[in-house]
Amino acid sequence: MARSRFPSPLGRRAALGILGAGLSGPFIRPSLAQAAWPEQTTIPDSLKGTGEVRIAGYGGTMQEAQQKAYYDSFEKLSGIKVLAFPGASPTKVKAMVETGNVEWDMAQLSRGSIMNLMKTGDYFEKIDYSLVDDGVGKEHRFEYGLEMLVWAQVLAYRTDAFKGSAPTGWADFWDTRKFPGDRAMFGTSGGGWPEMEFALMAAGVPADKVYPLDVDKALASYTKIKKDVVKWWDTGAVPIQLLTDREVTMTTVWNGRMAALQAAGVPAAISWEQGLSKRDAWGIPKGAKNKANAMKFAAFSTMAIPQARIAFAIPYGSVNGGSNEYIPPDRLAMLPSAPEIKKKLVNYNYDWWIDNREAVIPKFNKWLLS
Amino acid sequence: MVPLLLAAPLVLYMLAFYALPVLAMLMRSISDPTWSLTHYKDLAGDPVFIKVFWNTLETSFIVTVSTLLLGYPVALALVRAPKWAPLILILILLPFWTSVLVRSYAWMVLMGRHGLINEALLAAGLLERPLRLLNTPLATQIAMTHILLPYMILPIANALRQIDPSLARAASGLGATPFASFRQVTLPLSMPGVAAGVLLVFVLALGFYITPAMVGGPREITLSMLISQQVEELNWAYAATLSAVLLATALGIIALFYRLPGIGNAFTTSGR
Repeated sequence: MARSRFPSPLGRRAALGILGAGLSGPFIRPSLAQAAWPEQTTIPDSLKGTGEVRIAGYGGTMQEAQQKAYYDSFEKLSGIKVLAFPGASPTKVKAMVETGNVEWDMAQLSRGSIMNLMKTGDYFEKIDYSLVDDGVGKEHRFEYGLEMLVWAQVLAYRTDAFKGSAPTGWADFWDTRKFPGDRAMFGTSGGGWPEMEFALMAAGVPADKVYPLDVDKALASYTKIKKDVVKWWDTGAVPIQLLTDREVTMTTVWNGRMAALQAAGVPAAISWEQGLSKRDAWGIPKGAKNKANAMKFAAFSTMAIPQARIAFAIPYGSVNGGSNEYIPPDRLAMLPSAPEIKKKLVNYNYDWWIDNREAVIPKFNKWLLS
Repeated sequence: MVPLLLAAPLVLYMLAFYALPVLAMLMRSISDPTWSLTHYKDLAGDPVFIKVFWNTLETSFIVTVSTLLLGYPVALALVRAPKWAPLILILILLPFWTSVLVRSYAWMVLMGRHGLINEALLAAGLLERPLRLLNTPLATQIAMTHILLPYMILPIANALRQIDPSLARAASGLGATPFASFRQVTLPLSMPGVAAGVLLVFVLALGFYITPAMVGGPREITLSMLISQQVEELNWAYAATLSAVLLATALGIIALFYRLPGIGNAFTTSGR
C-alpha cells in the first residue's frame, strides 16, 4: 500500500511521481542540519557477516534518508555490503518468486500487502525474531514481516483557502459549504486501499468504532462527497501537486510528503485529527539468495538509533520504543509516532483489510463508476 | 526466398520477445486457476468492465473524429502549399517527437484551475471564476487529440500526394468548381489515407494510459488503467482476460479496415 510514496526513477507510476515533484516546485528536503545525529557505534556479533544484501525500497528521498540513517552504518559495522533498489512492490515479489528469479533479498512493503500475497501462496520467508531488538513492540512483529517505519495518512489543506478557519476531521472534509473547494482522495487505481475509515468518521462513526468497517455505510457516505472529489490519487506526489497548483483546497496525503511542500513555501498544513496511523514492513521474498544477511539487516534497522536517524532525514516515526530519547523534542513533535500526535490518529487495522480487501475493492470500483 | 530471409531477424525477435510473452499472458486468462473460460463468461456480467470498455471505445471514437476533422485540412495544406510544407511538417513533427508524458504535463499546466487558459480568460474579463478543465473527460479528449494528430495527418497527406495532379486539372477543365473537384476527385481518392489514419488513431487511442490517468476525470477509467489496477491487485488472470479483450478489439478493427479497398496504398511510402 505504501507504493511509490517517494519519487523513484523507474516505472510509469514512478514517472508520474517525478512529474508531481517537478510540479510542486523546488523539492527542498527538510532536514535537521543543526541537530547532531545519534551514532550507532557497535553491534552484536550475531548481526555481523560477509557478502551482500539487496534491498528494494521506494528510491528518491526515502532511499537517501535510508542510506544516511542505516544503510551506510550497517555496511561499516557488519561488513555486509548493502545494494539499494527503488520500485519495491508486492507485484514484483510475486513475479520474482514465481519465476524463481529472486533479485531482492528484502523489500519495503506493508503488513497488508505481505499478508495479502501470503493468502495466495508462499511468497515470504519467516522472520528470525531471535535477532530483533527488544525495543521493537510486539504490535510491530508478525510472522512474515517486521515493521520498520511509522507514517500517517492524514487530511491536508490550503491554509489560504478558508479565511483563517481550519478543518479538523472528516466531517469538515465532507462539509463543502463551510470549507469550499474541490477535494482529492486515495483511489484504487494503483493497488491502493480506499479510505473507507474516513468516510465512516465523516458519517459520525466514532474513531474507536470504525472497525470492523461497514462498507455499505462508508460508500453511502462517500456518495455525499463524490462530485467534489476531482481526483482519486494513486501515488503520493499527486495530492501534493494538486495542493500546490490550487486544484484542490483539501486532500488526503501521506504525511512525509507534506514536509517537503511546506519547506517549499506552499501555504498548506496537516490536520492530524482522525488520520490513519500506518506502517511499512520489511518482507524477505521466498528463496532470497542472501536471506541470512537480510534478517541481520532487518534486525539492525529496527534498533533504537537507526530508527531515530530516519526521523532526522524525513518526518516518519520509529517502531522502536527506545528511539524517542535520541530525537530532539521539536522534531519529535512533527512525527506520527509522537505521543501528542499518536493519540489523534486511528490505528490502521491491517488484519481487517487482509480479510476483506478482495471483496471491498470491486465494490468500491463499482460504486465509483456508477 | 531472399526477401523472406531479410525479414528473418525481426521475425525471430518478434517471436521471442513479443509473440511468446503475449501467448503466455493469454494462457493465463484461460488456465488460472484451472482450465476454463469462466473469466470471459464473468466479463459479460461485470458492470465495471462494461462501463470501462464503453468509456474506452467512446473516448477513442471522439478522439478519432476530432483528429480527422482537424487533421484533414492540415494534410491538404501540406500537399497543396509546397512552399510552406517544411514548416508545417516541423510543426507537426516537433510535438510528435516529444514524450507523451511531457505533453500531458504541458496540458496540465495549460488547463489547470489556475493554469494559462483560465488565468487568461479571467484577466480578459470573460470569466468570473476559473473553469474546471483539468481532471475532466474533455481534458483527456483534448490532450489525446493533440497527441494523436500526427498519426492522422501523415497517412492522409501521403494519400493526397499520390493523387495525380492532372486529375484535378482535368476536372476544372471540364468545368468543375474547386469545391466540386475536391468533393468528386480529391476526397474519394484520399479515402485510403483517411482509413489508415482512422485505423491508427483509433487503435492507439484504445490503449491510452498515461494521458487519461494524468488529466482525466475522477470517474474516467480506461481499459488499460483497469488492467494495470488488476495487475496491482494481483488478479493476474482477470488482467490477462482484459488484455485479451483489448488485443482482440484492436485486431478486429484492423481486420475490418483491411477489407476496405485500397487501404494498402496508404501505407506505401513512394509519392509521385
